[in-house]
Amino acid sequence: MKYEPALPPHNDNISHHHPLREFFLLISGILVFLVLAFWSLGMLVDVAVDYIPPEKEAQLFAKVDFNLEFPSGDSSHRQAFLKTLMDGLGRCINLPFPITMTVIESDQANAIALPGGKVVVFSKIFDFVQSENGLAFVLAHELGHFKNRDHLRGLGRGFVLAALSTVLLGANSDVSQMLASTSEFQGAQYSQSRESQADRTALHALNCYYGHVGGATELFEVLQEQEGQWDLSMWHYFSSHPELQARIDDLHRWREENNFPVGTTKTLKD
Amino acid sequence: MTQLTIVCSLIVLGYIFGKWAENRHFRSIHEREEKFLPLPATSSKKPIGDIGPIIRAELVTGSVVISVDYFKRILAGLRNIVGGPLQPYETLLDRARREAILRLKENCPRATQVINLRIETSSISKGEGNAIGSVEVLAFGTALYGEETQPSYSGI
Repeated sequence: MKYEPALPPHNDNISHHHPLREFFLLISGILVFLVLAFWSLGMLVDVAVDYIPPEKEAQLFAKVDFNLEFPSGDSSHRQAFLKTLMDGLGRCINLPFPITMTVIESDQANAIALPGGKVVVFSKIFDFVQSENGLAFVLAHELGHFKNRDHLRGLGRGFVLAALSTVLLGANSDVSQMLASTSEFQGAQYSQSRESQADRTALHALNCYYGHVGGATELFEVLQEQEGQWDLSMWHYFSSHPELQARIDDLHRWREENNFPVGTTKTLKD
Repeated sequence: MTQLTIVCSLIVLGYIFGKWAENRHFRSIHEREEKFLPLPATSSKKPIGDIGPIIRAELVTGSVVISVDYFKRILAGLRNIVGGPLQPYETLLDRARREAILRLKENCPRATQVINLRIETSSISKGEGNAIGSVEVLAFGTALYGEETQPSYSGI
């Protein structure tokens, strides 16, 4: 037998499909599946949340340390004032369980609702709101989250996302990182609708407590001035809170729909 | 958002540079395979054909380590979920095998034949999540030198 050297005419050991085509097919298929799974499990969370009584929630989260690494707020006078305000607003909203509140020193202007009936107010917010009514709106917004059980819904969705990502992709894979960053989009859209709902609840509470809704848009207007040139047109799709102008517009619209009067706001004491 | 931007840019960069490097490597492989055609390398235990008296035999090796680009890693990760042919790694391993054999031939340019050719593949990352997905291919065989001196391929 004579050896005749020759190369094969083509390489049959590799696929000749375009890798980009495969990439887009796979990613779109998996994303569709994930979005559907996240959406349907999210709906299940919504159903489950209605079956968790507030007492059970308080019991579950009583010992949870939320690991807030800020020094505790100073003024007991301020705490007492906020407590009175919050209790009054809570009665207006018909909250079925008591709320505890903490002020912490921070550079962020924010307030958050934590599971177990805890509201945390970040002290910087007092530099932004000018009136008691403006502050009351912020507090009522957080109470609105409790009323709508949004803190549990958010937590439940967080669990769903973490579970889906870990089951499908393992804890720390590159792909799970990539999918996690795209899923922010869907989570943000859902969260925007919850924020909007809390704004609406807060507007009703403000009208109930003061008899008018003056100062409701105060914080948003100040924040909008601060943001100024940072208004990137696509950014709000990824943000968990609706765009500030949209929130202000919504508040004006709801005020007109409900014929809420606008009165003079009370000055905020130190 | 920042994370998404970083991941997307890494995928695009990985695709562009990975494709460029792969095409360049395949071109080089084709050229060198053409030039080394007269030197057969087989898995046969005995020489193929009549090559006359053998004056020398030696162990020759050729090894290569190649890494995947970011795009391929992501694509393979997606493929892992649904199953099917792992297309991004097919070219990686094909290049690695052929490059290892070419390096082996480059080690014995004056040989008449290489027999007993074996190829071993090992993964550098050993399946760890965030380790670099690289592959090592080692080709080894016995180079036989006949009485008639073969043309030298050195300098190719």
